[in-house]
Amino acid sequence: MITTLTQTTPWTDVFKTTKGAVYQCDEERCWYVDFAGKVAKFDYRCLLKLRKSVYHIDIEHALLNTTKDPDVEIIFICACDHCYVLTLLQIIALKELLEGTFVMLELNHILNESLVISQ
Amino acid sequence: MKDLLRIKSLISTEIESLLNQQIKKEAYSSSIYLSMASWCNRNGYDFSSDYFFKQAEEERTHQLKFFKYVLDMGGNSVSPEVTGIKQEYNSFREVFEEALDQEISVTNSIKNIYARCMKEQDFVTMEFLNWFLKEQREEEYKARRALELFEVIGEEGTGRWQIDKHVGEIKYNSEA
Repeated sequence: MITTLTQTTPWTDVFKTTKGAVYQCDEERCWYVDFAGKVAKFDYRCLLKLRKSVYHIDIEHALLNTTKDPDVEIIFICACDHCYVLTLLQIIALKELLEGTFVMLELNHILNESLVISQ
Repeated sequence: MKDLLRIKSLISTEIESLLNQQIKKEAYSSSIYLSMASWCNRNGYDFSSDYFFKQAEEERTHQLKFFKYVLDMGGNSVSPEVTGIKQEYNSFREVFEEALDQEISVTNSIKNIYARCMKEQDFVTMEFLNWFLKEQREEEYKARRALELFEVIGEEGTGRWQIDKHVGEIKYNSEA
């Protein structure tokens, strides 16, 4: 599914790699994940579910797997409009993107807490 | 940039995950006590069976307290899968030894969550956990007292019958 979104509200860069990017929209209280040729909107719950499903993929096992099965993973998130069909390399890239995103969100949380305390 | 994670949930994902592990632990405890109640009942220790039925109920209440807390704080409570419940015991004493082990493991696990909360300065969850820490004093006392009965009464003759009778009377009345 390809989603073309027209940006009507300001987005803030959360994290970017050469393969994709994640933006935050404060107004809509959501994140936009630009990856694998589409920009998908994720709310808080769905973003956590996406992270959980990507982190749960056993990349090492898939790399060592010598069977003739196609080297793709389907990431389907319950109660979310988006679905990803990714190759192993794309999964590694998405994992890197999400790891970076959550580190940045955590950093943002620490900064916000410090600002509140210092005020 | 707004702190959307904080807006949605009071607890961090690490604390949420630890609390979910605790939910599973409490569910496991409840099931293991139920299995102990069944074993005691089958072997004629009716007072001990009643004692374990009550313990199973208590653990279930603890599980629900954690479950509701995670939800109230904006987190995701996971209904746990409980497997591998031991159904048979070699002796009456072994049942109580394992009950104490179970309580010690629960106390350690709560202490572990508390330590993580201190690190994150999550005072809200710490305050919530205080009730459980106090509860563990009682739980460990009762389990330890039951084992003590094996020492003071002894298992010889009608000893086990006496122990069973007294297990039902174990109470913890500390004002501290």
